[in-house]
Amino acid sequence: MNAQAAPVVKKKVSTRIPITYVVALIPVAVAINYLGSTINGLLFLPLFLDMIGTAVVAIVLGPWWGAVVGALTNIIFAITGGPISLPFAACNVVGALVWGYGVKAGMGKKYWTYFVLALLAALAVTLTAVPIYVFIFGGATGHYADMMTAAFLAMGQNLWVSVFSSNILVSLADKIISSFLALAIIEALPKNLTQNVQLPESTGKMKNLAWIAGGLIIGILVTFLVIYTGK
Amino acid sequence: MEKNPKTIGPKEGFGAGVVALGVLLILMPSIAQQIADLDFVESEAFAILTGSVLVLAIFTIIAGIAIFFTKFEES
Repeated sequence: MNAQAAPVVKKKVSTRIPITYVVALIPVAVAINYLGSTINGLLFLPLFLDMIGTAVVAIVLGPWWGAVVGALTNIIFAITGGPISLPFAACNVVGALVWGYGVKAGMGKKYWTYFVLALLAALAVTLTAVPIYVFIFGGATGHYADMMTAAFLAMGQNLWVSVFSSNILVSLADKIISSFLALAIIEALPKNLTQNVQLPESTGKMKNLAWIAGGLIIGILVTFLVIYTGK
Repeated sequence: MEKNPKTIGPKEGFGAGVVALGVLLILMPSIAQQIADLDFVESEAFAILTGSVLVLAIFTIIAGIAIFFTKFEES
């Protein structure tokens, strides 16, 4: 008598999330972006820190929900701080798409691929920001990076190269720090919210903390490099 | 207690993303004029608006193309 193997029934894990989580998470993410930007301005840091919440939502809820957070963030910046911020909503949207689709493609599975994703996000945001800086604002908006742009211009570089060089340095530091801060925030979220998200495998709290701290330290070192370059 | 709470997924995310792009498009004309009125900005309002609309249009096109390749599960 042949024993027939019982059919294996794979239970499909739904990717749908209760709407209450989304309604709660999006305003909180916008608030995180606003708070990060405010702290950055108060401390005169050569960063932006206005995309931490965008990264959290893009990774947890999806790239286009992250784009909603990015757009809302810059709309609120434009209302409260002036119109300069609104054109840079495109940068926030691009960052959300890179983070969201990058994690969906599996780049969030390991810490080193997640770090590469942070670098890709920095590059994508810079490529979006540079034309905005040059075409709309003539290369300067009053950010710390303008000092580095001036330094590169003094070295004889043209405007495009100067703006790109200064912005990529700031963006690298900013996106590395933002990515790993977002990872730390996601670690603290309820597990049922992050069950469908492919993040670095948890092998022990201390190891996770070591990776997150390592990412933040690298971001801070790049920040010091930015400050040194600007002087 | 509600047994089947209303859920959202990628389909709603696309919709929300496109709505957000639409809101940005609505705000861009007045923002373009405000930016052009700034002292340190030499660009004309029309040029700022043209560039912004172009970028937002590219994002809208990306959203539309991405919908073709995304599998949506039934809610």
